[in-house]
Amino acid sequence: MAKRLTLYITIFLFVGIGFVPVIVMFLKSFFVDDGFSLNTYGTLFQSNREWKLLFNTLSLAGATTFITVLLGVPLGTLFAKTDLPLRRFFTVIFIIPLLIPSYILAIAWFYCLGRAGIVACVLGEATGILTSNLLFSFAGTLFVMVSALLPIVIILTMTYLRMVNPDMEEAALLHCSWPVALRRITLPLISPGIALGALITFILTLAEFGVPSFLRFDVYSVESFTRLSAFYDFDSTTAAAVPLGVITIVVLIIERLFLRRKTFVFRTMGSENEMVIVPLGESKSYFLVVVSILVFIFVIAPLCVLLCKSLSPSAYSEAFIRSTGSIMRSLLYASVGATCLVIFGFFLGYILDRKILRFSYAADSIAVFLFALPGAVIGIGLSGLWNTQGTNFIYTSMVIIIFGYIAQYTALGERVMAATFPYVSRSMEEAAQIAGAGWYRRIFKVLVPLVKRGMIATWLICFIFCLRDVGITMMVYPPGHDTLPVRTFTLMANSPDNVISALCVIMIMITLLPLCGLGLVKKYIT
Amino acid sequence: MIVKVENVSKAYYKIPVIREMSLDIERGERIVILGPSGCGKTTFLRMIAGFIPPDKGRLVIDGQTVADNGKSIIAPESRQVGMVFQDLALWPHMTSYKNIEFGLKAKRIPKTERKGRIDTILEKIQMVQFKNAYPGELSGGQQQRIALARALVTHPKILLMDEPLSSLDADLRQVLLREILRLQEELAITMIYVTHDREEAFSLATRIVVMKEGKIQKTGTVSQIKEWL
Ligand SMILES: Nc1ncnc2c1ncn2[C@@H]1O[C@H](COP(=O)(O)OP(=O)(O)OP(=O)(O)O)[C@@H](O)[C@H]1O
Ligand SMILES: [Mg+2]
Repeated sequence: MAKRLTLYITIFLFVGIGFVPVIVMFLKSFFVDDGFSLNTYGTLFQSNREWKLLFNTLSLAGATTFITVLLGVPLGTLFAKTDLPLRRFFTVIFIIPLLIPSYILAIAWFYCLGRAGIVACVLGEATGILTSNLLFSFAGTLFVMVSALLPIVIILTMTYLRMVNPDMEEAALLHCSWPVALRRITLPLISPGIALGALITFILTLAEFGVPSFLRFDVYSVESFTRLSAFYDFDSTTAAAVPLGVITIVVLIIERLFLRRKTFVFRTMGSENEMVIVPLGESKSYFLVVVSILVFIFVIAPLCVLLCKSLSPSAYSEAFIRSTGSIMRSLLYASVGATCLVIFGFFLGYILDRKILRFSYAADSIAVFLFALPGAVIGIGLSGLWNTQGTNFIYTSMVIIIFGYIAQYTALGERVMAATFPYVSRSMEEAAQIAGAGWYRRIFKVLVPLVKRGMIATWLICFIFCLRDVGITMMVYPPGHDTLPVRTFTLMANSPDNVISALCVIMIMITLLPLCGLGLVKKYIT
Repeated sequence: MIVKVENVSKAYYKIPVIREMSLDIERGERIVILGPSGCGKTTFLRMIAGFIPPDKGRLVIDGQTVADNGKSIIAPESRQVGMVFQDLALWPHMTSYKNIEFGLKAKRIPKTERKGRIDTILEKIQMVQFKNAYPGELSGGQQQRIALARALVTHPKILLMDEPLSSLDADLRQVLLREILRLQEELAITMIYVTHDREEAFSLATRIVVMKEGKIQKTGTVSQIKEWL
């Protein structure tokens, strides 16, 4: 009884916090001037501009996904399965862009390729105009999105490779060489992981707000935001959000139909044996050069630009003066958000893995839908719902930001936890139950200790995602509650480059420091 | 009569797994449920434990109706049964001692009594020297003993065992079978033991229930079943 009650309350809270605002926003858009009407949608796809938005949104997401998979799978394979020198170092460096707000990369490239950028200084104004046009276009947006989301495919490829039963590869190696075995056995085995990476990349590109907004590439997520901030018109904002919602739902249905079963089949093949490492042999140096070039282009170059640009004491002191409050708030909100997300993730992940409630998939679908929905859209829903006299304590405090984090990122917590629970066999829990332990004792004495590491991982992942969030926070933050990424974004228009660079470097540091700290602690303990 | 199973049925996705099973078990009996893989032995045991409610029929434990007509009335944690799981399900983050102590703590038994009971049972299974070891540090047979101790220490009314020896080699199985037999006689506990191994059934049972495709095919003493097979 206590068990069902807890689980129902979790679902109820999650749906209330995350889903209701979006639904209410959608329903409200049908009621113009107290009567039912489709007026709001009357203009939908009436202008060429709308079709262009749709085309831009889809082509950006599609191209980003394609290139990310094309680069990410080989890189992930190199890092996880071969004896490539420096592979751990490369992995860490490649992951950095995912940890920071993506628009920081766009800023860095702007300082490099913009009209007054480094390239223009070195090669002349004409070249500067050329590179600037290139950056502020489809190609430039695509490039920045790829560098921001590449880590997702790399990480998933590596994770799934580690789960492949080495016996299967060794069985193949009796008959063929490594390249063939990789292509015929290993890659098919990890195809669910690659598909998942592609799906996440596609969805995150759809939802991305910072990069296209900064590079002035017109896509739907930017359009929603502009309509709200420029006209404060909820109805037309909702109308702009609907196509995104629809695309998201279509993508998720595709996932349900094609990915779910495969993932399940794959999981049963997991094994704890050591992974087989592929020797690169003579081509080692060739691979090393290629990977080094990629890592330089995608990560090191932009980070160096920011660092160089910011290198002056005055820039940093100015940056700190303008942002100390925001830094503190960022850390606070991200910690509170991550903690809430671990709690939601624990119970929802449990429901998903153990399939105990009839509508466990429904809760999961809602979570994934909200994760995929652009933050700006969720933000509009939240502001619309809570901006009333009676609920001002939510609307004007950090609570609304936390609600936003819960709405958007619960799927992360849920899925990571759901991937952890299979390691605790059902009988572990049942043994506790039959020994006379009630639900709460089972949670705190058996389940939590056994999934502790998964919970820490969940917390860190959620912390980073909350910390780097721009879409939602930008939409809902009450006056005086801005976070560092939002502050930097808003300061951009009227601050010197070196201060903005310093702010970006600070942002990167406060994201990386907790991770480095954790890495050191872990090393020290083991 | 300690367990009464009345016309119990269970289906998964409309496929019947247990069909109209009825069985009466007397106090102190050693019932062995014998049947091929997939015939519903585990399902039957889990219904008695309370992890799954039967779709139809009634279950009575010690005079108390614990499940009736599709509804579980008493939760597993209150049914006072002990169970040794097929995969043992020892909690890897607790020492042997803590594993055994868990159920006693849940039942709010005072510390001194807990200690007394655990020491007694550890002695009975000759595992005193391993009380601070984690399950990962124990051999298969030793883990088996700890799982048995954990199931018995709360003084359950019935002990359920689901192929507890299936992962062990033949010699060790013989040793542990004798030990289970000795413990059962000492504690005079009612035992329901599930296996697909005839020899195990013959050396353990006071009564054998042969199951096939979710039904009871035959019940009888060891000699009766030996003859019938
Ligand atoms: N949770 C479940 N969902 C769907 N079907 C199930 C479930 N549990 C058991 N079954 C089905 O019920 C039937 C009986 O399963 P059960 O585990 O009771 O068999 P068993 O006699 O214990 O077999 P074994 O000797 O292999 O352990 C099997 O056909 C199985 O596929
Ligand atoms: Mg079984």
